[in-house]
Amino acid sequence: MSEKDANPSAKDALVGGSLFGRWEKLRGREGTVVGITAVLVAVFPYLFARAPVVSGILQGYQSLATLILIWGIFAIGFDLLLGYTGLLSFGHAAFWGGAAYAAGIVAKNVSGDPIVMVVSGTLFAVLLAWVLGFLSLRRGGIYFSILTLAFAQMFYYMAASPLAFLTNGENGLTGVDVGSFLGVIHLEADVPSVGGMLLGTWLYAFVGVFFVGAVAVAYRILNSPYGMVFRAIRENEQRAEFVGLNVWRYKLMAFIISGAFAGVAGSLFTIHGAYVPLQSLFWTESGDIVVMTVLGGAGSMFGPVLGVGLYLYIENIVSTIQALTIPFTDIVLIRDFGFYWHLLLGLVFVVVVWVVPDGLWGILTRLRELAVDLGSEAAKRLRSRSGNGGDGR
Amino acid sequence: MSLLSDVLVILLNGLQQGAIYVLLAVGLSIILGTLKFVNFAHGALYLVGTYAGLFVALNVPLSNGKLAEWGFSSFGLDIGFFAALLFVPLFVFGVGLLMERYLARAFYDRPDTDQILVTFGLAIVVQELFRVLFGSNSLPFEQPERILSVGSFAGIPVSGPIALPIVGNFPQWRLWVIGITAVLVALVYLLVEYTDFGLVVRAGTRDAEMVRLLGIKITRPYIVVFGIGAALAGVAGVVGGPLNVVNPTIGTNILVPAFLTVVIGGVGSIAGAVVGGIVFGLTTAALVAFAPAWSQVGLYAIAAIVLLARPQGLLGDEEVVP
Repeated sequence: MSEKDANPSAKDALVGGSLFGRWEKLRGREGTVVGITAVLVAVFPYLFARAPVVSGILQGYQSLATLILIWGIFAIGFDLLLGYTGLLSFGHAAFWGGAAYAAGIVAKNVSGDPIVMVVSGTLFAVLLAWVLGFLSLRRGGIYFSILTLAFAQMFYYMAASPLAFLTNGENGLTGVDVGSFLGVIHLEADVPSVGGMLLGTWLYAFVGVFFVGAVAVAYRILNSPYGMVFRAIRENEQRAEFVGLNVWRYKLMAFIISGAFAGVAGSLFTIHGAYVPLQSLFWTESGDIVVMTVLGGAGSMFGPVLGVGLYLYIENIVSTIQALTIPFTDIVLIRDFGFYWHLLLGLVFVVVVWVVPDGLWGILTRLRELAVDLGSEAAKRLRSRSGNGGDGR
Repeated sequence: MSLLSDVLVILLNGLQQGAIYVLLAVGLSIILGTLKFVNFAHGALYLVGTYAGLFVALNVPLSNGKLAEWGFSSFGLDIGFFAALLFVPLFVFGVGLLMERYLARAFYDRPDTDQILVTFGLAIVVQELFRVLFGSNSLPFEQPERILSVGSFAGIPVSGPIALPIVGNFPQWRLWVIGITAVLVALVYLLVEYTDFGLVVRAGTRDAEMVRLLGIKITRPYIVVFGIGAALAGVAGVVGGPLNVVNPTIGTNILVPAFLTVVIGGVGSIAGAVVGGIVFGLTTAALVAFAPAWSQVGLYAIAAIVLLARPQGLLGDEEVVP
């Protein structure tokens, strides 16, 4: 080894280190997070449904990409409550389904403009969250979970029969006519030129804008003093109270904000499907969002979205596979996978709650930290070795 | 005359409906009150109880699900309902012991949220396991005709109508459900209030640390309390099975009313669970008779009203409420 070789490599490590350091600084910024989200949202349907090779392996399709973003908005909002404020609601189906019905009913009776639908659905969800939050937060801990569950079930049964004249009961709300955006753009139509290749339909673009907006809003809230209070309540409610914070008000606001996200998602769900199933109010829907959020990683910004993606992907695509094989081989792991997938999901969920409460995102974060540690250690070792070489000279 | 008989029929139906809630709620309530453990898998125990009862009491043909695919054309021992009433609680008691030892105990020191999540996961697993094995269609669980299909009690009928004064003919099995519930709940009440075992349990509810310091091994009463709660859910499954449909979703469907019964009655109070169950049962029965569209909503509306007026529940203790 000559010094000529040693010195440049040390320099490289230093330059790499500063690049990395610069990235570490940028990484946490709101602009970076939102920008990267926007780019990912833009290329996601292309990679998922149209790109050569990749989409062939994934077997994704456009409508599922849209659905993943919609549920992603729901999950980000749910995580504000569960992961950051520490409140486990089992009643978010009321906001999701309630907004879906509100948007659908408005579309049928007033206006099918997508913006009007989203605004009215979200408003309804916010009002509902206000009332339900006010009632459910009267009792803490497990009672909160049970009460939210109970109230949501009440809305399910209301929609099922006494309000059937509005909701069309068991059959779900059919015949929702979604109008065109601003009266010009049909949401089902493809986006022209390059946009069409990347995004696909206008509907995806419409949902994508809301998704990026949801990420921006959630990020802003979580990194503001307001979001710090949420975290303080999660860590220790009593201490937050003693510091002089009005814990009750912050909890109610967290609940309402989370309900608003669910409302946006629910309205978009109606626009997406032009149909509202009664199922959307049932408590299994609340259970699904709990499972998705916890699997992906409660208490992180993108973990829940990862959970949503995985869940919907397995539910819609992997479950149609007859025999699950080890990739690229013929070794069969499970026959009739579609029959078992929910059971396996339940088992995985139990294991995740038990062993890694911070979910898949937590695992990824730990792996990343490990890699960073190893990387910086290697760089240090390299530097010290080159330093030794200098001494020897 | 006819109005009176209508009212009495509603009362009896309500009591029967309430009896199932009471059985589940008493179990949930003693587990929640004593062990401070939130069991979202209590409905799964009900599900296990129903299928186990079906297995012991009858012999049911299987048409879909993996068991049928694997060549089991029918399922069951067909040794009568009384046998089911005897064996199933024992079996579910055992399931409860295993659950306490290997699942709940690991979660006593973890947040409530984790307890809810893990038991919710377990409920999904059990439900899906039954769906895989028995298929998602409903199985027929006929009302038992006689207490035993063999033996000396074989002659005593339990199904079919019975003539009551004023009411007229009333399904006899519903009366049995009310009776069985009353006896079991009374037994649990006596056990908790008037035995040494109950004394330790109640002391543990107040201050588990102190009980330990006094040299009493509290883990054993705990595991037994969990087992008893589970066994009651099993009984609810057996007696309730013939009155409702039997499919893998019954567990999760009954969980919500059962929890609400506990909450409006007051956690940890057996009397509260009984009152809550009866209130729910009567409400449901009355609404079914007069406003069927609202029959399900009423239960939740009542729960909301009670909790607004008395957040600690009807018979709840103000201090115990966290």
